[in-house]
Parts: sequence; structure tokens; C-alpha cells
Amino acid sequence: MSADVQLDEVWIRFGDFVAARDINISIRQGEFFSFLGPSGCGKTTLLRAVSGFLQPSQGRVSIGGRDMAGIGPNKRPTALIFQNLALFPLMTVWENITFALEVRGAGRAARRKKAEELLELIALPGQGEKMVSELSGGQRQRVAIARALAAEPSVLLLDEPLSALDLKLRQHMRTELRAIQRRVGITFIYITHDQGEALTMSDHVAVMSHGVIEQVGDGNSIYNRPESAFVASFVGENNLFSGTVAATDDAYVTVDSPAGRLRARHAMRGGKAQLAAGDSAFVFVRPESLKFAAGASSASAEASSTEASSSTGALDNRIGARIHQQEFEGNFWQVFCDVDGVDKRVKLSMVNDGASMGRGPGEEVTLGFNADLAVALPQGELAAE
Amino acid sequence: MTPRFILTAERVRNGFAALFVLGFFAYLFGPLIIMGVTAFNSSAFPRMSPFECFTVEWFDVLANDAKLVEGLRNSLFIGVGVVLLAVPLGLSGALMLTQVKERVRPWYYTIVISPILVPGVVLGISTLLFWDRIGTMFGASRDSIFYDGFFLTIIGQATFISAYTMLVFISRLQRFDVSQEEAALDLGATHVQTFRKILLPFLKPAILSAAVLAFLASFENYNTTVFTIVSESTLTTFLAGKVRHGINPSISALAVIIVVITLLGAALHEVLKRREAAAEKETARIAAGELARRRRVKPFALEPAVLLIALVFVAGLGSAYFAGTIGVEECKAQVKAEKIRQAQERTRQREAKAMFQNAPAASEAAGQQIQSTDKSERAGVSQFQGIFDVGNLKDQAGADDGGDGAAQQSPLGTENFNPIFAPQNLSPPIDSSGDNRNDNRSDGDNRNDNRGGDQ
Amino acid sequence: MFAYWQNFFRKHGAALSVFLLASVGFWIFMMILLPQAFMLDFSLRANVPPPKWGSDAHHYTAEHYRYMLYGSAQSVDSYNFVDLSVFARTIVAAIFVTLIDLALCYPVAYYLAHAATGGWRRLMVLSLIVPFWVNELLRAFAFKIMFGGNGIINNALLWLGVIDQPYDFIRNSVALYSGLSYAYILLMIFPIYNAVESLDRNQIEAARDLGSPWWRIHKRVVIPHAKPGITSGCTMVFMLTAGALAAPQILGGPSSLWFTQIIYQAFNQAGNWARGSAYAIILLVVCILFVLLMMRVFKVKLGEIAR
Ligand SMILES: Nc1ncnc2c1ncn2[C@@H]1O[C@H](COP(=O)(O)OP(=O)(O)OP(=O)(O)O)[C@@H](O)[C@H]1O
Ligand SMILES: [Mg+2]
Repeated sequence: MSADVQLDEVWIRFGDFVAARDINISIRQGEFFSFLGPSGCGKTTLLRAVSGFLQPSQGRVSIGGRDMAGIGPNKRPTALIFQNLALFPLMTVWENITFALEVRGAGRAARRKKAEELLELIALPGQGEKMVSELSGGQRQRVAIARALAAEPSVLLLDEPLSALDLKLRQHMRTELRAIQRRVGITFIYITHDQGEALTMSDHVAVMSHGVIEQVGDGNSIYNRPESAFVASFVGENNLFSGTVAATDDAYVTVDSPAGRLRARHAMRGGKAQLAAGDSAFVFVRPESLKFAAGASSASAEASSTEASSSTGALDNRIGARIHQQEFEGNFWQVFCDVDGVDKRVKLSMVNDGASMGRGPGEEVTLGFNADLAVALPQGELAAE
Repeated sequence: MTPRFILTAERVRNGFAALFVLGFFAYLFGPLIIMGVTAFNSSAFPRMSPFECFTVEWFDVLANDAKLVEGLRNSLFIGVGVVLLAVPLGLSGALMLTQVKERVRPWYYTIVISPILVPGVVLGISTLLFWDRIGTMFGASRDSIFYDGFFLTIIGQATFISAYTMLVFISRLQRFDVSQEEAALDLGATHVQTFRKILLPFLKPAILSAAVLAFLASFENYNTTVFTIVSESTLTTFLAGKVRHGINPSISALAVIIVVITLLGAALHEVLKRREAAAEKETARIAAGELARRRRVKPFALEPAVLLIALVFVAGLGSAYFAGTIGVEECKAQVKAEKIRQAQERTRQREAKAMFQNAPAASEAAGQQIQSTDKSERAGVSQFQGIFDVGNLKDQAGADDGGDGAAQQSPLGTENFNPIFAPQNLSPPIDSSGDNRNDNRSDGDNRNDNRGGDQ
Repeated sequence: MFAYWQNFFRKHGAALSVFLLASVGFWIFMMILLPQAFMLDFSLRANVPPPKWGSDAHHYTAEHYRYMLYGSAQSVDSYNFVDLSVFARTIVAAIFVTLIDLALCYPVAYYLAHAATGGWRRLMVLSLIVPFWVNELLRAFAFKIMFGGNGIINNALLWLGVIDQPYDFIRNSVALYSGLSYAYILLMIFPIYNAVESLDRNQIEAARDLGSPWWRIHKRVVIPHAKPGITSGCTMVFMLTAGALAAPQILGGPSSLWFTQIIYQAFNQAGNWARGSAYAIILLVVCILFVLLMMRVFKVKLGEIAR
């Protein structure tokens, strides 16, 4: 399918401050596309450039193949759902919803009809006469969506629309949003700093940091194949070992770290290798990829690779550690371990299979993981905790 | 044991503070109350004591004063004009403030706020001169708009009243959520539509209270108006003319009317402000995401405060009018009889005294006094009231010829400033117009009034 | 600059932009700046009848300002004691009135804001609005009634035996000064009340806990906090008093004039508009200087004064 929204080499500056740096993105017709990034990274700024409230300092924004330069927000085929919703408090629900029709001069009967349709769509039938203030947070949310949909945009832009809701409602609304998007079939561009939201709903996610797109991909590739240290540390939980590259090939990297010699996948970026021998590198391992290895620890990856473990099969890496604390979370055990030379405690998640874990704090253990489940990346900025 | 009241320094201080505040409020309201009371006293000189008869005749005097009615009409017209000019100007001024560049803003603000800090007379003069010059430049005729008192007054007053309304709008705009404007634009509204459908409804309460404020400020303005009004007159310039040329209770009556009108306006303004504040809280709660059951805003006329004010106003008016028309004549007749009796008493006393002293000079003076009671009384008063007006000095001097002798020889000092015991002055003919009537009930100041007119 | 206006027009649309610019432009130039500039220009020209305005006879001259100083356009031998003394009296009296109002209002404002409670306080503050909206002519009129020869004050004093002849309050300017203090007192009390009210009560309590005597609490805590309000009140009262016309016309004695009355006479009686403008300019300059002085001394911004 053709690209619906395209950003080419877009830069946005406020004075000396660069809010968006060389952004290149193409979003396909009908997809659910998310921007994910920490607060202040420039997500809203980028969205405002798409909706036309802001002219890029440089570069091109095109929608449906048309260059949008010089076209005001009221002439673009986009509709924006604001971070604070910006519903009109002096209008009733149905007046809010059909505002776009009203300004186009549609008659009252046509507006009422459209309002009923949309109220049906957002599961608020018969609530049109209420004032906005008489609605609950989630209902307001849905009214804002209906109001934007009434404009019949080809692209719907949503700026952290769920951030003000409580957890339960947020989870419910995620499903609803996704359902609505499937029903109306238009492009959704969704902004969030909540990775759960981004990963569950999106066809594609762009991870941003400091005005730069770090990586674009579907949820699976963002989570499992991060291409930068920032993405690896921002998306999901990750244990981090820093060290120096000892050897590298196209598939794997060997890194010397205080925890020992570690072997991990070699992450490509844009099809290019990122590491060479002698570079500083981070090795990231997800807590669920860590296992308890039987027997004495071995710092040598080569040694361990040949050894067969009775409980977990072959493990590429082994690390000696001491259990610091364990937390029971029902379906999971979270175990925190001290590793000599590693600042941050290493975290391990184990599925609760009903058996007792059989280990206690202070106990010396050996942790292990497979090279395919770990990734080595050039050292770079990490996401703040 | 019962707790005893202990006099501490703290208590003493608080007591003094409360007394001070009490005194302050007495100072604030005393003059207005006294003025109000004089409007209902049948005494021809505005005074509170002695309170002779409760009457509304002074209001009738007013109603028959064509000049007053004209001034009132002009004031209302100008007030409406000022509202129509100052509200849009203040609104534009406030909107512009949010738009000008950071660097320019302090300068801009200084300029638009400066009319508040410039004396009203200066504004009046500069407006008058400026349009005069513009008129001359265009070679406009003398009766063109540039020399028109209404036009000049509206422009002159709006100069500073726009700054007032601007302040009202600024404080409202500070609470406007700009994203609503953007949302409307985003949904395809044009800029004008956004302004009309989003910003204006939001500003509606502010527009209302700014309009009331502008009207009140215009209605009671004197300093600017007196220069710009040229040959016309407004209620305030009429009032100023009347006050400067002598005082009589019909001015008090006018004052009561103006006070009532302005107070109703002020109450309206206050109610509007409160409604706005309440609405404000509501929107704040909505913004905070609180689930608020919104009260539908009642139509303005059903606001309890408005109803109460209207009710009190109507009731007060009605009862005052009734009380003022019933029994006035009997009361006046009584007062008149009492005064005649007192006057005769005094005359007798004087005669007795004169006979006792048996001094020819004194007896002659006393005789003169009896014959010209009216005149001496006028003089006595004008000694104290006539000087209110520079213009009256000459007349006063004339009156003093007859007065001085009598005043000095009068045995009772207080008589001199009690103007209303001249028997022949006590029967006012009710039929004639206001001015004539005042003439008949002449005392030191009413006498001036006939001549006073407009100058 | 061009980009700014382009952006401005894009942001507001053509119709709204034109309306905004036109109305604000009209207000600023045709109502505020140019009239003052024309008045200044006019005050610097010879006094000629209107038909000759703009002709050669209407030349530039400083004679009206010189007249204010020397009482004559040519000679500089003697000073114009009449106008100068009226001017001085006006300014001094305005300052005096301002100080009286400050002394009266500060305690009341403080009391209302921090000692009075609940319903009483609301009622008192609301009732302050009542006299605030009463016309200044009427306030002066009320004083004229009170202070008249047989007004309530004289009657009361006579009855008490303090005096045995009615005292002429008008001729002795007592009525005028009381009337002026009264006329604008609410422009002093509202800003001070608003400022004092916003002071956190705990601050006062804390100072009291630390053993400060009451006067020190005011000096160190309350007054510094209320400074913008005090400045605003003083400025407004001074400006309005110095520029008052109604009260002096009504309450002024026959021999004492107010500076605005001289301006008024120049316009309405002497027909000397040029001199009237010159005097108006002088009044304007005094007011501007006073505002600047207040801003400098109390270190407040203009926005805090005019509210
Ligand atoms: N008008 C502006 N002028 C100057 N700087 C701005 C402006 N708008 C945004 N910025 C800056 O640009 C950066 C990005 O802001 P933006 O609002 O896009 O963040 P965001 O990613 O949406 O954050 P959040 O998740 O908190 O909403 C911030 O550092 C902000 O300070
Ligand atoms: Mg944002």
C-alpha cells in the first residue's frame, strides 16, 4: 500500500533548541503507527508538524502524496486528539461530536443523524444531550475520538489520549481504540510514552529520544531486536553488562565484561554491523532470558558452550552471582542477584510452575543465558529509569 | 466560678481595631445616608434634622425638569455608545496582548494601560483638541461629527474605559485553554468560526461584565465629559451645574435616583462576576478530570440575587411613594402652624424685650425685622450657604445690606441659620413647575437656583 | 518582522487579523498617543481663534509655560504667584490626602483581611463596593450638605457646645479636604485589601510565635507583602485627587482654587485653549513623574499598579 503520511528530512527548531532532528518516516495507509519516547523527546512537536500547527524548519511533510507546506491545520485531512482532549465545555456531547460538520455548514438534522451514528460507534448511544462535564473520563475520551472521526479525516492523530485515565480504564480503552481503528480503517498515528500501549496496539512503532528516531519496526522487532542502547534500555526491562568487544563476526559478538566473557547477538542497524573489536559495548539480557545454571560457575563462554546442563540445556554464558532478594508475583518469581563488578543488581524472572523455588537470599548461584537471547550494542545513552 | 472577662493588651487592641473599622464604615456611609434622608424631607433646604415631613415631592420636581430628562437621555445614549466601542476595543487589546512579541509586550502594555493613570480632564482636553484639529484638517463644518459632543464624549470616555474592559478580558483570557482553539481549527473551522464559536462563548460572561462596567463608568463620568460634551449636557454635567449653583433637596432626590441606578448596576456587575467565578471553578474541576455533576446555568433573570434586588427595589419604590404621598399635606400644615406659633412667640419676646429696654434704635430694628423677616432670613442663610458659589458673591453682598443689621441684633444666634420660619414662605403652591416653586419657597440657596440654570 | 506578520495573519486568518490590528491601532493612535501629542503641540502654539489654526499666526511659542511661571508672556520680573501657589497647593494637598487615605485604609484593610471572619468579612467587603460606585459629584454633594452652615456637623457641634457660632468649613477648606479624602478612599482600600488578603496567615502566626511585637510584624511581614497594593492605591489616589474637578468645584471655598479648575477656566471662561492645554500637559507630566517615582521607590511594575 502507498505511503499515507511521509516525513522527509524534517527538522524542527525552537531558536537554538532542536526538537526534531532529521526525521524520515513513512506511514502506510490504514496502519496503526505509534511514536514511543520519554517525556520531552519531541513527540507532540512532531505531531503538531503533521497536523499543521507548526511548520517544520526544514524538510517536507506530505499526506496522501501531497506536500503540506503552507496548508493550515483546518485544511489538512488530519484530525488531532489532544493530550488534554480539548473538548468544548460549553457544548453538549452531540454538539461537540458534530462540530466539524457544523463548521462545514451541515444542517441540524444531518448533524443529529451523524451524531447518533458516532455515539453508537463509541458505545454511548443516547447520551448526546449531556454536557461534557457530566461524562466520566473514559466517556470523554471516546467523545473526543468521535469528534475527531466526524471530521472524516484520512489520518487520525492521537496525543497520549489515555495518559489521564486509571490503569483499568486504560487497558479497556486500548482494546476499544484498536477495535475502532479496525472498523473505520483509517491511519492512526498514536503518541505515547507507555511502551505497553505502543507494543499492544501498533502495527509499527517509532522509538524517539531527544528529537531523534532511534528505531522503527513492529512490536516484536523493537522488543526482541533493539538496534540501539537507548531502545534496549527503554523498551521492556533489560539487564546490562558493559565491556569491551573482544571479537566479532556477522552473527555474534564476544564482550569482555567484569562479569566475565559474554557472547551475544550482533545487532545490525540499517543492515550494517555496529561493532568491531576494541569498541565499548553493552550486552543486554532480558530477565526472562536468564536461567539458573546447575553446577559451578564458569567465566568462560567457550567452556560453558560445550558443557551440557542438566536442567536448562546448553547455555552460552554463565555468571556467578549471589541471590540478594526474591519477590513472589503470583505467575512469576522475580529474583535479584548481586554480580561482582556489576553496579546494578541483575534481575531474573522465572515462571511459577507450582514448585518451590528452592533457593534463598545469600545463596551462591550460577546464572546463564543463550547468546541468541542477548544482544550486544555500541555504548550510548540509556533511557532514564 | 464564672469566667471573668480579663482585660488583656490583645483584647484592648482588638477592641480599638473594631472601633476603628466601625468608624471607617460610618465615615463611608454616613454622608450617603444623610444625603438620602434629605431627599425625603419636606424642608426646603437639604437637611436631616429637623426632619419635618416625609415627602416624595422632590422627585416630582425632578420629573418635571426637562433639562434633567434630556441629560439623562444623553447619558444613557453615551453609555450605550461607550459600551459598543469600549468592549470590542478592550477585547482586541487583550487578544493583542497575547500575540505581540515578548520584547514588545511591556511597551504595548504600558501604552494601553496608561489611560487609567492619566487624569480624566487631560483625556477630555486632548480628545477635544485632537478631533478639532482633525476636523480643521478636513475642513469639516462646525456641526460635523468632529465637533459633536456625543461623538467626542464617547471617544474620550472609551479611551480609558477600554483599558478597564481590557483588564476584565485579560483576566478571563488567562484561563482560556488555547488547545480548544486549535481543536476547532483542526476540525476544519475557519479562524472566524473559531473566534465566533469557541472564543466568544468562552468570553461571554466577561463581555457581559465588561459591558456593565463600561456603562457604569461612562454613566458616572464627569471629568472627561465636562470637556468633551461641548454644548450638550449629560446627567453628570447637569448635576454639577445644579450643585454649583446652589443646593436644594431635589438634588438629593436626583442623587438617590443615581445611587439606586448605579447600585443596581454594581450589584449586577457583582452577580456577573460571581457567576463567572463559579463557572470558572467548574471548568477547573472538569480540567482536573473530576467527575462533576454540572448544574445547568440558570437563566440570568432567575438568579436569586437578581430577583432579590429587583424585589427590594420595587417594594422600596412602591412603599416610599405611598408613604410620600399620603398625609404629607396634613403634616405640612402642622409644621406650618407650629412655625407660625414659634415665630409669633419670638416676635412677642422681642417686642417685650424692646419695650423693656425702651431703646428707640432697638425697637426700630425689631420692627424692621418683623416686616422683613423673609429678607433677613435669606441674608442669614446666604451668609453661610451663599459662599458655596463664587458666582453668588455679588448677590450675597446685596442681600447683606438688609441682613447684617438684623443678624447682629438678633438675640438668638441660632436663628440666623434657620431659614424656614418665615411665615409667608410656608405655603408652597404645588401646581407650578419646579423652578417657580423653588422660587416661592425661597431660602438662601433656592433663590440662586432659578438663575442658576446652565452656564 | 515580515515573517512575524505573515505568521500572525496565518494564525488568525485575514478577517480577524484586520479587525484586531484596526481596532487596536485606532485605540492606540487615534485615542491615546496622537491626542496627547496634538495637545502637546497645541500647548506650544500661540493662542489664536480657531479659524486661524494652522496659519502663520498659529506659530510655536513657549509663552503658556512661561505664563505659568511668570504670569506674563514677556516679563520675567515677578512670578505668577496665583497659578504657582494653586499648583503647589494642589500637589501638596493631593499628597496629603493620599497619606491620610493610606493611614485610614491600611488598618481597615488589614482588619478585614485577617481579623474579621466569615460572613461578616464578606458582608463588609461587599458593602465597600456600594460607595465605590456612587458618583463623585454626589459624594461631594453629600459633604456639602453635611458641612453646610446648618448642616448636621455644625448642628451637632453647636448642640454639644463646642462652638457657639457655625464654623465655616467650606471657606476653610476642611470640607474640600475631607471630601477629597472620601472621594477616592476606596481606590486605596481595595488594592491593599487584595494584597494583604493574599498573605498567608501562617506567616503572621510564625512571626508572632517568634516573639515579634505587632508593629514589627507589620513592618517586616505584612507591609512588604502588601507593597504592590499600597503602591497601586497611593498612585491611583494621588492621580485622581490631583486631577479631581468635581469635588473642588463643589466643595472649594470662594478664594481657593484647584489646579484643574484653572484649566477648566482657561477652556470655558478665558477661552484660552492653548494655555489650558499647557496646564493640562503640566498636570500630565506631574502624574507621570509620580507614577515613575512610585515604581522606582517601591520597585513595582506598572502592571501591578494599574489593575
Ligand atoms: N513552542 C516551543 N518553544 C520552545 N520549545 C518548545 C516548544 N514546544 C516544545 N518545545 C520543546 O521541545 C521539546 C519537545 O516537546 P514535546 O512537547 O514535543 O514533548 P513530548 O515528547 O510531547 O513530551 P510529553 O510526553 O511530555 O508530552 C521539549 O523540550 C519542549 O521544551
Ligand atoms: Mg506531548
